[in-house]
Amino acid sequence: RESKAQDVLSKRISLDVQGQTVKQVLRTVEKLTSIKFVYSSHLIQADRRVSLSVSNESLSRLLDQLLHPLNLNYEVSGGVIILSRASSQIPVRAPVSGGGMSFVNHLPLIVVTGKVTDATGSGIPGSSIRLKNSTIGTNTDAEGKFTLNLPELKGTLVVSSVGYVTKEVEINNQSSFVVILEADTKQLSEVVVVGYGTQKKKDLTGAVSVINVSQMTEQPTSQITSQLQGRASGVTVLGSGQPGEAPQIRIRGLNTFGSNTPLYVVDGVPTQNIADINPNDVASMQVLKDAGSASIYGSRAANGVIILTTKRGSGKVKVTYDAYYGTQRVKQGNVWDILSPQDMANLKFRALKNSAPNVPVTDQQYGSGATPVLPNYIEPTGAQTVDESTYFVNPNYTSSAELDRFNRIVKANKGGTDWFHEIFKPASIQSHNISVSGGGNQGNYLFSLNYFNQQGTLLNTYVKRYTIRSNSQYNISDHVRIGENLAFSVTDNPRINALTEGSAIGMAFRMQPIIPVYDIRGNYAGSHGVGMGNAKNPVAIQRRTANNGGLNNRLFGNMYIEADLFKDVTVRSSFGGELFSGSFHSFAYPEYENSENTPTNSYTENAFNGFNWTWTNTATYSHTFNNTHDLKVLVGTEAYQNRGRNLGGTTTGYFSFDPNYVNLSTGSGTPTNYSNRYADALYSLIGRVDYGYAGKYLISATVRRDGSSRFLNTQYGVFPAFSAGWRISQENFMKNVSWITDLKLRGGYGIMGNQLNVLAINPFTTYGAVKASSFYDIAGTTTSIISGFQRTHIGNPDAKWEKNVNSNIGIDATLFHGKLDVTADYYVKEVKDLLYNPEMPGSAGQGDLPYVNIAKMRNRGVDLAITYNGSITKDLTFNVTGTLTTYNNKILTVATGTSYFDQEGRRFNGSNIVRNAVGHSIGQFFGYKIDGFWNNQGEIDAANAAARAKTGNASAVYQNEVAVGRFKYADVNGDGQITADDRTFLGNPNPKFSYGVNLGLNYKNWDFSIFLYGVQGNDIWNNVRWWTDFYPNFAGAKSRTAYYDSWTPEHMNAKAPIQENSGSFSTTTVPNSYYVEKGGYLRAKNAQLGYTFPAALLKKVGVQRLRVYVQSANLFTITKYSGLDPEIGTTANTNNSSNGSLNQSISNNTSFGIDEGVYPNQRQFLLGLNLSF
Amino acid sequence: CQNSFLDQPALGALNDSQLQSNAGVQTLLVGAYAVLDGVGAGAANPWDAAPGNWIYGSVAGGDAHKGSDGSDQAGINSIMQYSHDASNGFFNSKWKAVYEGVNRSNTTLFYLKKAKDITDADAKTIEAEARFLRGHYYFELKKMFKMVPWIDETTTDYAKPNVDDFKKQNTEDIWPKIEADLKFAADNLPATQSQVGRVNKWAALAYLAKAYLYQNKYQDAKTAFDQVISSGVTSNGLKYGLTDKYEDNFDAAAKNNKESVFAIQMAANDGTNAIDNANSGQMLNFPYQSPFRCCGFYQPTQDLVNSYRTDADGLPYVDTYNQTAVKNDMGLASSTAEKPTTFDPDQTALDPRLDWTVGRRGIPYLDWGNHPGQTWIRSQPYAGPYSPKKNVYWQYNQDKYADNHSWAPGTAINVLIIRFADVLLMAAEAEAQLGNLAKAQEYVNLVRARAANKTGWVYKYQDETKPMAGFSTTPAANYKISVYPDGKFAALGKAGALKAIYFERKLELAMEGHRFFDLSRWGIAEATLNAYIAYESKITTDLTGGHFTAGKNEYFPIPQRQIDLTTMGTTKTLTQNPSY
Repeated sequence: RESKAQDVLSKRISLDVQGQTVKQVLRTVEKLTSIKFVYSSHLIQADRRVSLSVSNESLSRLLDQLLHPLNLNYEVSGGVIILSRASSQIPVRAPVSGGGMSFVNHLPLIVVTGKVTDATGSGIPGSSIRLKNSTIGTNTDAEGKFTLNLPELKGTLVVSSVGYVTKEVEINNQSSFVVILEADTKQLSEVVVVGYGTQKKKDLTGAVSVINVSQMTEQPTSQITSQLQGRASGVTVLGSGQPGEAPQIRIRGLNTFGSNTPLYVVDGVPTQNIADINPNDVASMQVLKDAGSASIYGSRAANGVIILTTKRGSGKVKVTYDAYYGTQRVKQGNVWDILSPQDMANLKFRALKNSAPNVPVTDQQYGSGATPVLPNYIEPTGAQTVDESTYFVNPNYTSSAELDRFNRIVKANKGGTDWFHEIFKPASIQSHNISVSGGGNQGNYLFSLNYFNQQGTLLNTYVKRYTIRSNSQYNISDHVRIGENLAFSVTDNPRINALTEGSAIGMAFRMQPIIPVYDIRGNYAGSHGVGMGNAKNPVAIQRRTANNGGLNNRLFGNMYIEADLFKDVTVRSSFGGELFSGSFHSFAYPEYENSENTPTNSYTENAFNGFNWTWTNTATYSHTFNNTHDLKVLVGTEAYQNRGRNLGGTTTGYFSFDPNYVNLSTGSGTPTNYSNRYADALYSLIGRVDYGYAGKYLISATVRRDGSSRFLNTQYGVFPAFSAGWRISQENFMKNVSWITDLKLRGGYGIMGNQLNVLAINPFTTYGAVKASSFYDIAGTTTSIISGFQRTHIGNPDAKWEKNVNSNIGIDATLFHGKLDVTADYYVKEVKDLLYNPEMPGSAGQGDLPYVNIAKMRNRGVDLAITYNGSITKDLTFNVTGTLTTYNNKILTVATGTSYFDQEGRRFNGSNIVRNAVGHSIGQFFGYKIDGFWNNQGEIDAANAAARAKTGNASAVYQNEVAVGRFKYADVNGDGQITADDRTFLGNPNPKFSYGVNLGLNYKNWDFSIFLYGVQGNDIWNNVRWWTDFYPNFAGAKSRTAYYDSWTPEHMNAKAPIQENSGSFSTTTVPNSYYVEKGGYLRAKNAQLGYTFPAALLKKVGVQRLRVYVQSANLFTITKYSGLDPEIGTTANTNNSSNGSLNQSISNNTSFGIDEGVYPNQRQFLLGLNLSF
Repeated sequence: CQNSFLDQPALGALNDSQLQSNAGVQTLLVGAYAVLDGVGAGAANPWDAAPGNWIYGSVAGGDAHKGSDGSDQAGINSIMQYSHDASNGFFNSKWKAVYEGVNRSNTTLFYLKKAKDITDADAKTIEAEARFLRGHYYFELKKMFKMVPWIDETTTDYAKPNVDDFKKQNTEDIWPKIEADLKFAADNLPATQSQVGRVNKWAALAYLAKAYLYQNKYQDAKTAFDQVISSGVTSNGLKYGLTDKYEDNFDAAAKNNKESVFAIQMAANDGTNAIDNANSGQMLNFPYQSPFRCCGFYQPTQDLVNSYRTDADGLPYVDTYNQTAVKNDMGLASSTAEKPTTFDPDQTALDPRLDWTVGRRGIPYLDWGNHPGQTWIRSQPYAGPYSPKKNVYWQYNQDKYADNHSWAPGTAINVLIIRFADVLLMAAEAEAQLGNLAKAQEYVNLVRARAANKTGWVYKYQDETKPMAGFSTTPAANYKISVYPDGKFAALGKAGALKAIYFERKLELAMEGHRFFDLSRWGIAEATLNAYIAYESKITTDLTGGHFTAGKNEYFPIPQRQIDLTTMGTTKTLTQNPSY
């Protein structure tokens, strides 16, 4: 039961204190009345000593006596009494009418009544209602109602309550009011969760992004990390449209060559994976970006730390139901600009003529005429009529001999198959969330249940997830609290490996349009047939996965006990972690429709399980000396242990492919199996000191000593950090600057560590038996192999912690009375002893390479976050939140003797697309720069003559494999010849900056918000064009560019080079600048329009709040990028059996921004509702 | 307590101490054999490091086109045209795979010294086998890259130079070390082994002789070859000799026969549900869209096919074989019910070995039916009308010897590094160089006589629609072959005899990965290969612009990646081959 304000203040007590501190007196009163005071120690000068003697006096009188001399106000709110400094304009606190007392009585009085509610319609008890510029006022009762006596029905009522934005209401002859206060998110977020504790935002000295969770979670997705995109400055999120795929998160650029995944701390428990956290459960989210804030997490902090706190209950029982349902729409049109079947044939004829001008073109499908003629059938080759009765295909064949007997009959699809839209279809998305919560003096609880189901627009990809959460706390006594936070999730999430040529998406832009999806009998058609290329039918690929699936489940959470030992010391012990398991099964059907078929059937099952725990023990001492020196000290220990195992098997030779029949035991082939396990541990000592002088000068120092089992000779690392803040606005000389509400200058320096990329095996050189590569048929049996050993890992016992040395300077400013909030930071991070596993010379032999502390990297950048709250009219208010993220990443050292490492060979001749080189940022594109075409033989001859003259070599040529119509490469180093040294950096996938803008509008019961996200200054390597713009690059589908905008003697101002029968150095066999495009874009990630039903109406049906909304995600995108979607991340893991809970779907690639068939983000339209009662 | 909490041994792997035993060393030795196939040894793809050297020996040697279409495995295009540079990834793959073989041999030798429970006799055999394997791996490196760093079981710094080090030791290169390893093996290995896959003393001696021959040490080579030819037996105790049927060398059912001197053992359907141990280095080399499914690579050249033409005496046209081309089906669609097309294969006289080496239209393709022509070829204008054959399995026993656990087939057909016909032809070379032309002719004639054995020819099917029903007695083509008449080599003189021997090697060992290395060591690569490119470019588009540069292209470049990996500061440890 809530205490009513008047009940509280009329409580009668007796007290006799002499020379005690205010704090002590308040504590005594707390004990006598079971009422809690909320105050800030230095604000109320709690150490000031007072003497007081009252007998059976009301609490209000006592407080007046005690607090008025101290120039303090008090107000009752929800069972607590909040103390605050009285403003200088009002020397005496407005009289409290609660308890029927009033110092001032005006006659005659007019009685007005009203109710103060929050946005959900719940009454706000203890709100203050005052007549502006008077001493008349009152507080609301437990139901939020008030009665006030006014001299006349004129003037303005000022309604305020802690945690809400103060509102002014014109009386305007009304005598009844319903005042809805908006939650003051700024004030709520004033307490920021930081490492192993909380801090007031104004006291922060580190760089912390506090995320507006309610705005963030509007984005319809299962992944909190996806929702984070654009919401926090300094955070870069690279994702895709694939359901359940966790995006790659980077905090302040790239910190290492391996995993850049930050550390997540959920309710105090560190983890690498928050893919299964229900976004509805999140109460607050903070990103710790610099050493000052994150170093307390020491060894694991280098990639930044994201702290999540889940919701807790409070007040009376509250039930909420939040749901949305919607549809996801696929991009329309010819998304890859593919030619029609007739144009495909025309292109083929042109390419053959270009390659062999004197040879007449004869084609088995298209004839030998001057122009190609499309056949009626593509199988049998080029047939116009076919006896369809000879057809024989058995899709469920079990022997190669049977496959050889197939007589496929496939009609030409002369209109062209739109392969993209054959595999991408509109799909549904829905989420249902129920929560029950409540709390009181004895504790609090929250229970929630979430069902999320997002069907992928790509066939047979989806995520289905059930999440249950139970958070509770029990207040055993005033000083001891025990609680738990637990979440259990069950996820089914089949995904594909997008961005690779073998995926269904990759096949969709490679399949020729003349091929139909199905043959004449409804079995799959494909590239089998003359001249049809070697792509695989993407519909078949995806449909065949229909019965594949699995379940992952995870129990994640912690239990804790917290006790106030002495008056300033709190100790806390938390034991938490995760327990997870999962499995995935898949059946590979034998293929028959492709030109390159895998004829065997096989069934594969993988499973994993594991656990890890973190046991944290901390003690906090907090004290204010002489009202001016605030000191907070934290010491602690933390231990972490991680264990897990994977296993799986495959069997072939199934008699029946019925999904109810197949398992690992029912196949007739030889079963194969595998298993592996892993274990590692950390042990840490933690310390932090925060000191504040008069709320003006703030310093903080942290140190952490970490030991890791992944290192052998140097197990321990020490990670100190120091930061300081100066609240300039508290200085006297700033007091008169009225537009500055708060201004703080912050700076910090420290070291964060990293060991994520190091495997437990790193110190050891090991040997093992590997059937594929160390077994041998030494007995000559032809069908069996004998065990041999090979080196499996090369050890480095000397590896130690990676050190991320971090400097940060920033300002926090609150301007114009809280309307404008600005946080800006500049940082420099230098990663030393960067762990990298450089390739060893081939002469050293093979074995997984050890990580050594060898490389060096630097990041610099600016983070900016701005919030503005304003109103246009009384009813029309708005808020704008903007974030800006920039980073500049530079590799300083790779390894001794090596200044680069390459990645992403794709289909080139062994040259890679990506070069990570000293002096450049990670992931830059590398290759030959195109400098136009060779338009005639004269140009070639002249270039060769110049090359001979310049080099003095009579056989020198300017460029290899040159012909008219091919690319001319730029002689970058000016030596007169094109050699490997002329390769240069062609583009950078790292954006110059990314930004997010959220605009919110409220008009009476209507609310509207739109969120825009954009990146600028990045390049994309459009490798799809390698397949579609060059005739010789496999006989697949080609683009309109290849036919209509390729070089011909009549069309020299072309995009693509001359179309030929084979690729060359001067066209497609080496990476060149043809593929690089600008990747910047601006996207309306989310737009929402909501209506909240009037509370009065709802009350009749027992509902507190009902809001309905319509929403659209990814409504529009502005970009110059020619591909499907400019938002291109990295290749993520697809199977659900990867290393346990870690990185289940997270990519660790340092190469990104390479488009080889992206899973596009889809436009979503949703209807949703928020209901509470 | 704290420390033990953080102690974490490696899981699921063997450490140093577990290997220091007889069993451990024996198993390491099997691992050293296992990497003979180049799989799982650091190569980007199994074909990059295929032990049969189909890319570096046969494609680069003019036996075959890369095949397939222009964009697939583009790195081979430049090898085929000799326009490759050091950054071509294929060379790096081969380098890494072969050095892994060196490394595993060294590891065996390293732990052999540490193990306490091995008898002296066993230790000697293990050492000899390991050193033989190391000799083989270095031989591969030597013939590919010319100058390579020597790494042995005592090496700790792997960034060793490939030139300067040898100068200090007053030697030119690693030939003496290769010889020492092979000689130790020949001296210490038994004549027969309990497992046929293990090398024996005769294989080691044959390999040593080959190493002599590559260094033009003809007398040393002859001495060793004489012993091998007169006394050699296989590891399973068969006296060395030529099989009756030429094709038995390429049939998994007949492997480890008396002709198999040193072979890499391949196993199909070995229980791994993968083709890693089933000659996956040649997985691309099957006719396209055929019963083999993939991938249409390794298409024999017209130049090679023409080489099999024989004159009225049944002898090859050593100099003029390209004057008349063997008829092919370029541009002719395959026959279908809808569009019947006919093609009659060439009727002129041909060496019967052609049709065990090359798949061509209208000729039985083992027991898979007559080669249908264009439908099995990915792009005739690009790489010609032919398919490879020696690496292809038979239909009747495909369940056993073909491995279909992949998108392209594996097979149990062994890769022959040295077979007895090769020994005879190498011996013939040594004899001819030493002036013993009659002896040389005798060896060549042994090889030709086997080819002339009619039981080993290709015959037409009894019923073309039922190829597995068996063969008729009608030869598939007009085969005509005979031995050189007595005194022919003497009449030709040394130079002419050598030419005939060289040509015989081309015919006998075509598509087996030898040709480029032979041409290179004979010093005739420039003339031969540029003539080949000029001729073949009139037929296909894939070689356009190709040119062999003398003094450069005899060896492949030291992989740029390896040069980069061993550069200390700005000082390069590895020296690039001339002109790269």
